[in-house]
Amino acid sequence: MSQLSTTPAIPDLAPPADPAPRRRFRVQRSTLSGLAPLVAVLALGGALTVANPRFIDPRSLSALADSAAPLAMLAIGATVVVLCGGIDLSIGALASLSSVLLAMWIPTLGSAAIPAVVATAAAAGLLQGVLHVVFRIPSFVVTLGGMTIFSAIALVISDAGTVPVTDTSVTKWAFDRIGDYIPTSVILVLVVVTLVTVVLRVTPVGTWIAAIGYTEPAARLAGLPVYPVKVAAFTLSGTTAGLAAVLLVARTYAGNPTMADSLLLPAVAAIVVGGTAITGGHGGLWRTMAGAIIVTMLRVGLSVVGVPSAYESILYGVLVIGAVAMTIDRSKVGVIK
Amino acid sequence: MTDDSFPVLEVTDLRKAYPGVIALDGVSLSVRPHEVIGLAGENGAGKSTLLKALVGLVRPDAGTIAVRGRQVRIKGVADAAGHGIGMVFQEQSLVPNITAAENIVLGFEGAGVRRGIYRWKTLRQLAQVQLDKIGSRVDPMARTETLTFAERQMVEIAKVLAIEERTSTEPVILLDEPTSVLEPEEVETLFAQIQRLREHASVIFVSHRLEEVMRISDRVYVLRGGRVAGEVDPATADIAHLHELMIGTADSGNHYHDDLHSGAVAERTPRLVISGLTGEGFKDVSVSVGAGEIVGVAGVTGSGREALCRALFGAGIVTSGTVTVDGHRIDLSSPRAAVAAGIGYVPSERKVEGMVAALSVGRNVMLARTDLITHGPLIDRRREASLVDFWIERLHIRTPSRSTSIGQLSGGNQQKVVVARWLVGDDVKVLLLDHPTRGLDVGAKSEVYRLMRTLAATGVATVLLADSLDESIAMSDRVVVMYDGRVVADIPAPPGAKPAPVDIVREMV
Repeated sequence: MSQLSTTPAIPDLAPPADPAPRRRFRVQRSTLSGLAPLVAVLALGGALTVANPRFIDPRSLSALADSAAPLAMLAIGATVVVLCGGIDLSIGALASLSSVLLAMWIPTLGSAAIPAVVATAAAAGLLQGVLHVVFRIPSFVVTLGGMTIFSAIALVISDAGTVPVTDTSVTKWAFDRIGDYIPTSVILVLVVVTLVTVVLRVTPVGTWIAAIGYTEPAARLAGLPVYPVKVAAFTLSGTTAGLAAVLLVARTYAGNPTMADSLLLPAVAAIVVGGTAITGGHGGLWRTMAGAIIVTMLRVGLSVVGVPSAYESILYGVLVIGAVAMTIDRSKVGVIK
Repeated sequence: MTDDSFPVLEVTDLRKAYPGVIALDGVSLSVRPHEVIGLAGENGAGKSTLLKALVGLVRPDAGTIAVRGRQVRIKGVADAAGHGIGMVFQEQSLVPNITAAENIVLGFEGAGVRRGIYRWKTLRQLAQVQLDKIGSRVDPMARTETLTFAERQMVEIAKVLAIEERTSTEPVILLDEPTSVLEPEEVETLFAQIQRLREHASVIFVSHRLEEVMRISDRVYVLRGGRVAGEVDPATADIAHLHELMIGTADSGNHYHDDLHSGAVAERTPRLVISGLTGEGFKDVSVSVGAGEIVGVAGVTGSGREALCRALFGAGIVTSGTVTVDGHRIDLSSPRAAVAAGIGYVPSERKVEGMVAALSVGRNVMLARTDLITHGPLIDRRREASLVDFWIERLHIRTPSRSTSIGQLSGGNQQKVVVARWLVGDDVKVLLLDHPTRGLDVGAKSEVYRLMRTLAATGVATVLLADSLDESIAMSDRVVVMYDGRVVADIPAPPGAKPAPVDIVREMV
């Protein structure tokens, strides 16, 4: 049925007079603007190196990668939600809750605690997605509520305190080095990014997500499975929040009910700094990876090169706005709001 | 202070063009004091644009508007009110959760507010003054949402009348389709109010219901294609004359590609059968469309044809009745189910609902049918490329390449991409075309007509909600007329024996 040779049922539809094609098309600039996040990373890295040559030191880069990994992991699922035109504000709180659960479950479940926690976080994301689409509540509201609820649960079950990990061998692999300098956490992030990117590229899901994010009514009227795709995006967001918790627990040997709360805004910053449109449709995971590196360089790098902490936040704000100005692809994002 | 024959409002050679459409093509008209002016015309004739220009919601490209002999440039609704022009909007513009009195004085509370605090007694009196002008017995302290449609319309009119005090002159009131949501007895009430209103004001009355226009108006302007097609005196002219002016002489020639007509379709087997379908906006609709048949659905705004069309695609609300395609009952719960059943829908809002502007031509073509280009979950990019290129070639879509953003194409080519979406599987059974030529120029329209003819020849059952009556009659094998959510007529329109537009308009209004 899908053979091309079966289509001549539709005869040739040549219009009688075919005027010359109009030359009103712009040169494709997407390849150029697509490189903008990478340029931003190199420019910022270069500037920091000039300010302090020790920034480029392998050990310092390795430490930078260590702090970038949980942030990047957290931002992976959230990016897909943003691509669908939604937002997930619960990721930080969900990762905090997951860190507590992980520390609490390791004594009884051992290594099985990791898949159990990730599955629980995925289920929490799924639930939020279902609430969003079934009851037609804005994702901003659902996940804002989720954020508070996850935080509260984490505080209750942990008695508002740090839960130490008794058996660090379970999470040790996630805070290790391959060779001298390559953190295993970075490898895990790259594996997840690659996996998700491949799914978006080689299956129709990528186009579906873009269509839903750009113009949801058109996606719906093309008969796309709009609701299942959105629910899947929230589930992925929960999953990566759970994985981010694993990385955080591995680093700190403990779970804490507020551990990842402060990562929410940097994760959103990483998404927009990478050039993904907060209005949905346009963007991508590797852009978010570049964004996560930029945000981490700003947070960690500025103090490394000796910017006084009082000015650090000012510079951070200025550079985030500047980075978005540079990376956003205005030819693809119709409305900037 | 003004001579009674001197116009309070004079519009001269007003022009407004949108990309691809000329909405106003040199409209001139005048309104004299205490006159009720009727405005008639088909959808897209320019009525709405004209009214919007008069209250500053549309900025004309050229031409002048003069109020009491003085040329003015109207910058917005508030500015229009300052010149004494007020509009009662088609979609009611009252705030539902405040009282009628508050709505009437909204934005111009005057003595009703002192030191920022509402003085309810004064507020009520101010509103009552306006309500008294039209003799309305609406309680000013009632919450607006508890009022009936008709009562709310009275409140709207009272609100517009408040302009009078602000300008110290008699206002011009624009009524845009005020009767479309009213029951017959409410229409009578409204007409009585308009008669009272004219003691204080001049009125421009727009309605699709020509009988009403003829009854209430002193003079009627008929618009067609953005021009004034004629000025009619209801005392001497009849509705048939109005029809002729509205529709003009039908286009002849091969614009509609009659030569590609697939021949007699009367005895073809029915493909799409709608039985007793009732839902939001339509009641007990039964229509059948044969293989290869094009059935036009005609009706004025609010007739229910758009609602029916969306419901057939699973994007509306259906409460009872059935729809079958080739004898199989269709699930009307979602567009996804409709697509799976072989129904394709070309929505009227191309830019919002038809296409994803930022995605490429290829992605837009394949959007609904990615199943054709996947092996298991994986996309076969080579197959995608060849299938997309095949359809670009076949439909002569003028695009630099399949990876160009669809947003960069002309309207006609965008529409062809949207249609191509339903053809790629070569298994579409029913096409629902909701204003498929809206916003297209003549050449692009002709190409869309050609495409429709060719698809019909392959056996596709087509439901057409045309942009104009001309188009509906010329393209359709039958024209079904809807009025107030019901099918009121089913008129054959075979090639060579097309019905006169007047016969269809008679059923529409």
